[in-house]
Amino acid sequence: MQMSAFDKNKENPLQHVRIKLAEKSHIKIKDKNTCIDNCENKPCTYYCPGRVFSWSGEKQAIIVDYSRCIECGACPWGCPYDNIYWEFPPGGYGVHYEI
Amino acid sequence: MGHDRYDVIIVGSGPAGSTAAKICAENNLTVALIEKGEFPGSKNMFGGSIFRAALEEIVPDFLEKAPIERKVVREVLFFMEADSIVEMGFTSYKFAQPPYNTFTVIRSRFDRWLAGIAEKAGAHLMNSTLVEDLIYEKESPFSGRKVAGVILEDGRKIYSDVVILAEGAMADLTRKAGLRKKYSADLFTLYVKELIALPEEVINARFNLERDEGMNIGMVGYPTAGAIGKGGIWVNKDTISIIVGAYLNQLIKNGLNPYQLLCRLKEHPAIQRLIQGGKTVQYMSKIIPKGGYDNIAELYDDGIIVTGDAAMLVSGRHGTDAAMLSGKYAAETVIQAKAKGDFSKKTLSAYEGKINSSFFYKNLKINRRAADYYKKYPDADFLISKILNEITFEFFKEDNKTQEEKLQMMFEKLRHIQPLTKSVKDFYNAALNWRFY
Repeated sequence: MQMSAFDKNKENPLQHVRIKLAEKSHIKIKDKNTCIDNCENKPCTYYCPGRVFSWSGEKQAIIVDYSRCIECGACPWGCPYDNIYWEFPPGGYGVHYEI
Repeated sequence: MGHDRYDVIIVGSGPAGSTAAKICAENNLTVALIEKGEFPGSKNMFGGSIFRAALEEIVPDFLEKAPIERKVVREVLFFMEADSIVEMGFTSYKFAQPPYNTFTVIRSRFDRWLAGIAEKAGAHLMNSTLVEDLIYEKESPFSGRKVAGVILEDGRKIYSDVVILAEGAMADLTRKAGLRKKYSADLFTLYVKELIALPEEVINARFNLERDEGMNIGMVGYPTAGAIGKGGIWVNKDTISIIVGAYLNQLIKNGLNPYQLLCRLKEHPAIQRLIQGGKTVQYMSKIIPKGGYDNIAELYDDGIIVTGDAAMLVSGRHGTDAAMLSGKYAAETVIQAKAKGDFSKKTLSAYEGKINSSFFYKNLKINRRAADYYKKYPDADFLISKILNEITFEFFKEDNKTQEEKLQMMFEKLRHIQPLTKSVKDFYNAALNWRFY
């Protein structure tokens, strides 16, 4: 199946999310080497519904863009190597649903 | 400005927390209700609908006050293929009359309303406040440690006789308290949702509804592309909730992105015409704790009680009502403990007794093994959907064949997909599993 949903020519779902961005990231990769040495498929780059994680071939690392996080809570449990640290953003920050 | 000591601190102002706060406050306990979002419900998501039976126990006159979108009169199940659907449904206009049955709601409105009731009863709601950790004290050299309050993210400490955790699926504090151990991708489903705005009269015409009648469509087969999960539509007043999701380990194994599944579902010819011309106003996503009976948290310890999603008290489609009822049981237990002046594990064990006699706990227990079949045959729903669509297609297709020839062709289709005995097993197990869907 094609992973086209977040392509530029498609609608970006994050435009429908209000996020009050905290100063510091609430998501971290615990050990960079684990991603390189052990993780072949890098599932965080596809199961995350906000596309927080992307693989940089140049930097040889998972890039974390915490400004895309909609706090679904999946990433720490989905990582096959328990290599993602995730906590809630500070009180009053992060995703905000209001209609 | 708040105090630094309360009878009870409740972490999380979702359905479980606000219910507990309301009941405790009504019984003259001092209550701190702590919410990390800007207001209760501002970070919460579900399908979804709430059920009358549970809500009525907590707010008897909710019908006049609650921010209800619509009253559900129709429940439909779609067995979907890429270009066809076999539908099974039930409509009751009894459900359009008082006392009604289930109601579609939007959580940023509903949770805020319920927390407001707790506030009116006297609970002190603290918004935009994240709890970092629990405070423990040792009551005597012979006793174990007892939870005695919480530490906020700014280091401030608030003390209480007892802490009720209603912190949701991530359950950080529940884990820190050592009450929930196993967390893995197979214990959670991951759902995404879009809220799509359409004029009320357009919605009514498209879904064959009148006034504030609502409906819910459950979808199996096509929406999850082979992973164990579901799609769904809930009809609100002037928006439609459309969701899709599956077990996290299945999404990962099949290389699926949930948003991509949602886009694909929205393009299905049957769904596309239901949402056509609508404007997406919200995108959201959440995990649901679906570990079942074997993964329910330890429900209490000295000075602490765990409720709702944090305790994994989700049984089939019963999550929000199970949460509210667990909040109620927690409050009742704490009120008794206050009267005794004893918040030890022994006294708080009354909470477990109440949970154990609840309908959702009993259902979780009965369905303990129901998920096993799906773990063994993850594509069972997908195959059922395929079989139903292909056979029904043959049934309705006009091709100048005799009845016998038609029957023969339908059997051929059935055998072609998989052995007959496996199909029978799939249907049997699906029926078992859907009992409490």
